[in-house]
Formats: sequence, structure tokens, C-alpha cells
Amino acid sequence: MFDAFAWDEWSETITQFWTFSGQDGTSAGTVILTILGFAVMLISFFGFVILEEGKLARQAEKLRSTGALDRPPAA
Amino acid sequence: MLMSLFGSLLAQTSEDIENLQSQITLDSQILGEQFYFWTVVVMWLIHVGFMAYEGGAVRRKNVMSTAMKNILTIAVVTPTFYYFGWYIYGCFEEGWPKSGHASPDALEGFCGLTAPWSVGLGPSLQDHISLIFWLAFLLFSWTTGSIMSGAVVERIRLSAYLILTAILGSAVWIMDAAWGWSSGGWLVTRFGFHDAIASGVVHGVAGGFAFGVLLNLGPRIGKYDLQGRARSFRGHNTHLTLMGLMLIFTGFYGFYAACLVIQSTAFPGWLNIYLSPSTLGTIAMVITIGFAGGFTGGWFASKGDPFWTLSGGLAGVISVSAGADVYHPSLAYLLAISGALVAYWSGTFIEKRLRIDDAVGAVAVHGVAGFYGVFLVGIFAGGFPTGINNVESSMGGQLMGILAFLPLAFLPGYAVSWLLKKANLLRVPAEVELEGLDMAEFGMDFYPEFERVPEIIIEPDGREVDGAPVLLDSYWQTNGKGKVPAGTSSES
Repeated sequence: MFDAFAWDEWSETITQFWTFSGQDGTSAGTVILTILGFAVMLISFFGFVILEEGKLARQAEKLRSTGALDRPPAA
Repeated sequence: MLMSLFGSLLAQTSEDIENLQSQITLDSQILGEQFYFWTVVVMWLIHVGFMAYEGGAVRRKNVMSTAMKNILTIAVVTPTFYYFGWYIYGCFEEGWPKSGHASPDALEGFCGLTAPWSVGLGPSLQDHISLIFWLAFLLFSWTTGSIMSGAVVERIRLSAYLILTAILGSAVWIMDAAWGWSSGGWLVTRFGFHDAIASGVVHGVAGGFAFGVLLNLGPRIGKYDLQGRARSFRGHNTHLTLMGLMLIFTGFYGFYAACLVIQSTAFPGWLNIYLSPSTLGTIAMVITIGFAGGFTGGWFASKGDPFWTLSGGLAGVISVSAGADVYHPSLAYLLAISGALVAYWSGTFIEKRLRIDDAVGAVAVHGVAGFYGVFLVGIFAGGFPTGINNVESSMGGQLMGILAFLPLAFLPGYAVSWLLKKANLLRVPAEVELEGLDMAEFGMDFYPEFERVPEIIIEPDGREVDGAPVLLDSYWQTNGKGKVPAGTSSES
């Protein structure tokens, strides 16, 4: 039964798909995907910083403006 | 005629044997693949546990921002470890990459399989091991980030934490793993450095990194009074914290198992990370009795404090991890007790004498106990042949590892957090810290059905007082132009 399975044909079709890592070395598509992924990863760090900075600055300003955290005047 | 038949049968038998060998090899690889897959599944519990542990240990106003740190650890460490972390492990075993990566001690061809565009990190029908092995290491990387995470809660910016955790998880720890936690690492092949289940490599280094960050981050507002005495904040859910710790412990079984190497057609049995023989039973026994010893030590050191009893269990296991493939259970039990004592005492010293606000004692439990575990191997496992060169473990080799890892851990943590501090990107504004990070980050309280109750702070003399005036007073001191109270940060 095992020998009857069309392994060779199936295997060749799959391994020739362009994102698969075969024995022929790295494809140009894989390199491009890697570069794009790396760039997105770097950009996400800037995004995390900028998004949070805005939230924190707004909330801190709001809290300061209410005066709730001000030091009471000396008696 | 007879000879021809015999020859034909022989050829058929030979072909059958080759097919059988080929099938056994494939089965062996798939078994290894499955083994690491399930260790990864179990190791996820470490991160579930860290999230619950830290979420319960913080005040109610910071619960979601704390949990989000643990979740986003996965979001940043995974791609960074994929794009450059694994390459560091594969190619920096000699300290720095050599031309052609030609170390005679390294696994042949391993470096070439660790680049993100390589055959080893893509879908491949010919390779059942590379991706799943990468995944197991990725879970270790998340763990290093989560170790630091607990120390810095309630005042660090989420974005600052994510930058720091990516550096720790995808550069710092994996560099030390290349040096001292691989079969070709220079510490192993030249000095016989032995840290089988990563006392120093994961825990010690993460603790050292966190220590460097804490020096720049400063304590939470109100943590220390004007005399520099430590106050205590009440975590909002100790049950959640203890359950989190138990989940971490469960995940540790996956962690321990993933530190072994298995593939029956390539190796004669279970191997440790240095490709020296070991067994799964040996390390499972040590981890279990290590927990027992650690709980015992933590209980008595803290006079029955629940948090430190469980943290003692963690410290106990970490203390015996370096020699877990070698230690007799009785030895592991005794050493784990001592590790819990060392962690408790050092944690108290760090908080009260050094006045460093480590919210969950991570530097003591992971950093101090981790390096203590490395040190213990020099005493109790000296002479054990380590790695493919069979270099004997020794106190000298262990000290060499500690000397290499301490600056490797501390300096990047200190330097990067210093830069972030100078850019005013390390710590949240003081007003936000007082109100709680959840309101600023998410605009809501995450226990909407529960009435807010006054925040209680425990003064150094043990009195429980209303936290609001104490925190406001500390805030005014911090924000003023005058003297900054002992132990408080001048930032923000």
C-alpha cells in the first residue's frame, strides 16, 4: 500500500513551490519576503513608541489640568 | 539457476533493509519533531503563568497594562528571534562569527541553517527538526523577557519594555547560549562550562539584564520613604499570583524536557544540550525534588509568606538546573533548599539595602539563584566530562562562565535603558503612574463591576495606611525642584 502512494510526483510538486526551501538554494522571493518582514518588524517598534507616547502625554496633561494632583497651598 | 535465485533474494533483502533503515530514520525524526512540539505546548504555560503571576502582583489600576506586556512579548520576540536571534545562536559559538563558520567543534552546517532565508527556517519536506528546534528555543527567549517583565511593572512604558525584551530575548541571552549552551560554544569546548538546564544561561542572564534596567528605571512612586525605608504595595490578587506560579512550574517540565536532545538513529539515547548522555527521568526527578526543597526553603526563610514560599520553589529549581543531568535527588533537594534561602535573603538585601524596587524579586529568584546554580556545579559536579570534547567541569570553568555572562547580561540592560531614559521614553509620566497605567493605555478600569476601594500601603513599620496621601506626597517630592527622596526616580 505504501509503495502504491504517488510520493515522488506529489513531493516534486510541493518542493517546487516558490516559498518552499528546496535544495537549490534561496529563491529571490524568499529573500524579498525576508527583507519585507524585517522592515515591518523594525517599523512596528517605532509604532509602539509613537502610539504610546501620544496616549501617555494626553492622559498626563489631562490629569495636570484638573489640578487633582496639585500640592495644596501652605496654610 | 539456484545461484541466480539466491542472488535475486539477496538483492531483494538488501533493498528491504535499506527501505527499513530509511523508514526508521524518518520515524525517529518525526518522533523528535513531535517531542519538541509538545514541549512547546507545555512551555506556553510558563507564559500564561507569568501573565497571571504578574497581573495578580500589581495593583488593580495596572492589571491590564501588565498583562499586555506579557502578551506583546510574544509579538516582538518571535520576529526578532526569527530574523536575527537564531542566527546568533548558530554562528556565534566562537564568540564572534568566524570566516566560513569553520569551528571544528560546532555542528557541521548548523550555522548555515539559522539565517532567516535559509533552508532550515523555511518549509522543507527534507527537514523535520530545524523549525521545531527553533520553536523550542523561541519559548526560552520569551521566558527571558517575562523574567524581566515582572521586575519593572507599574512604571515602565510598554514600548520601552518591548524594546528591552527584544534585545534580551533575541540578542543577549541567545549570545550567551551560543557561548555556553551549545555543543560548540567556546565556554564548553575550552573550559568545560556546564549549565545543562540553563540556571545561568536563561535565568541568571535575564536577572542580570533586569538589574541593569532597574538601576535606570528607579522605584515606583512611594516605594521608599524619606529615610529610604521600603514600603510594600499590596498586589490586587494574590490567588492569581500563586496560580500563575503553579502554571510556571507546570511549564517548567516542558522547559526541562526541551533542554534535552533526542534522535535515536543519530545518537545512542537522550543527550543534554552539550551532546553528553542523560535521561529524561533524571532531570524530571531533579526538578520535582527541587521544587520540594525550594518550597521548604522559601517557607522557612520567609516564616511562611505565601509569595516567597512559591518563589522559593522557583529559586530552588533554578539553583539545581545547571547540574540537573548529574545531581543525585538527595543532593538536589538540599541544594534547592539552599537556593531558596539565598534568593530570599538576596531579595531582601536588594529591596531594603540597595533600595532597588524589583516588584516580584526577579533579580534574586532568577539572577542570583541562577548564577548560584552555575557556581554549585563547580563544587558538586566538578570532574564531570562535558560536551563532545569531554572537558571536565570545574570551578574555574564555571567561574569563567559567570565572568562572561555577568557583563553580557548587565551592560546591555543598563546601556539601552539609560538611552531610553535620556530620551524620556523609559518611564511613564508620574501623573499616569499615580492614576494607574490602565487608564492611560486603555481608557478603562478592568474590574467595572467592583467598587473601587482605597489603596492600602504597608509602611516600613508594618502599619497599613491609606495609600493616596503617601503617594501624593511622594509625587510632589519627585516632581518638585528640591531634593529627590531616597530611592525615588528624578525622571518624569
